[in-house]
Amino acid sequence: MTSPLIRFALAASLALTGASALVSTASAQTQLSDTQILKGLQGLTDTAPAITADQMRKMVQQHMTQYPGEALTRPSLALNLDKLPQINVQIQFRLNSAIIEPSSYGTLGAIADALHNPILHGYKFIVTGNTDVTGTREINLKLSQQRADAVVNALVTVFNVSPNRLEPVGLGEEVLLDPKNPTSGINRRVQIFTIGRVGPTPQPIR
Amino acid sequence: MRGFRLLLAAAALAGSAVAADAQTISYAQAGAMLGKSCGPDITKLCPTVNLGNGALVACLDSKIKQVSAKCQSDYAMATASIAKRDAAQDAIGQICNADAARLCPGMIPQDGNLLSCLLQATKVVSAACNQAITDAGYR
Repeated sequence: MTSPLIRFALAASLALTGASALVSTASAQTQLSDTQILKGLQGLTDTAPAITADQMRKMVQQHMTQYPGEALTRPSLALNLDKLPQINVQIQFRLNSAIIEPSSYGTLGAIADALHNPILHGYKFIVTGNTDVTGTREINLKLSQQRADAVVNALVTVFNVSPNRLEPVGLGEEVLLDPKNPTSGINRRVQIFTIGRVGPTPQPIR
Repeated sequence: MRGFRLLLAAAALAGSAVAADAQTISYAQAGAMLGKSCGPDITKLCPTVNLGNGALVACLDSKIKQVSAKCQSDYAMATASIAKRDAAQDAIGQICNADAARLCPGMIPQDGNLLSCLLQATKVVSAACNQAITDAGYR
């Protein structure tokens, strides 16, 4: 430790005191608030279906094999996971890339706020990437996995969410939010599903 | 060249100083600040680098002379904010331990029920625990 380091630490620490006023305008860019995300992801029940990341990937592979036809004629894959708490969130990526646009960093933070809330602390999640049907099906599958990876990576390494709570799954162009408009941008999204508890049951307080 | 690393080390230190200056902002606010203040620099200098795994910091660090002053200071502030919020959230368990034992005995702490218990009992919760809950952003 050298003295310049400590000086910087003090500066950063002091500067924080005034930070709230600065960021109030920036946070307005967040499209989905952490409260909405928290609401969407809580309330997993014992009767909800169990699903793993591997099972989800297999469903995608089976769907691609079963429906090799042209994008506009084949059905959208129904995951049948309506009973799981879940949210759809728009994260902006660079075109044909898994690079998250800086304009979406606030949204990533809002997801982290929800995941760090005690209501969700004991749970794990699947984070899926989805494209629309524009472009090559195989490339979309790969891209969606890379995008889901990028989101999980940022949540874990920047926003300190525990890595054993998040599993990224690329769903490609198979699971459309608006199956009637498969090329619509609304289908390009990240979904988060609450899939189960993580860790041992806590001891009673005494 | 060394600028960003210095600032980031500073952020880590600031995180451990949470007890001294406990005001924290949300992860959403920190992320939005980072995106807003550094967005133009990132788009210009590091367009093919992602946020996670320290890659973005490394890239900006390598071009530190071209990075705007605003981005440099806000990057440090955002990183420090995240560390402080994280430390504040981690600290609750210990700070509120006695209050929990006194006010919520027998409860299996999950799904946020312990926090609900402490929030309902705000008037009789210790000042330190109430402050910890506020600092963690759980109010």
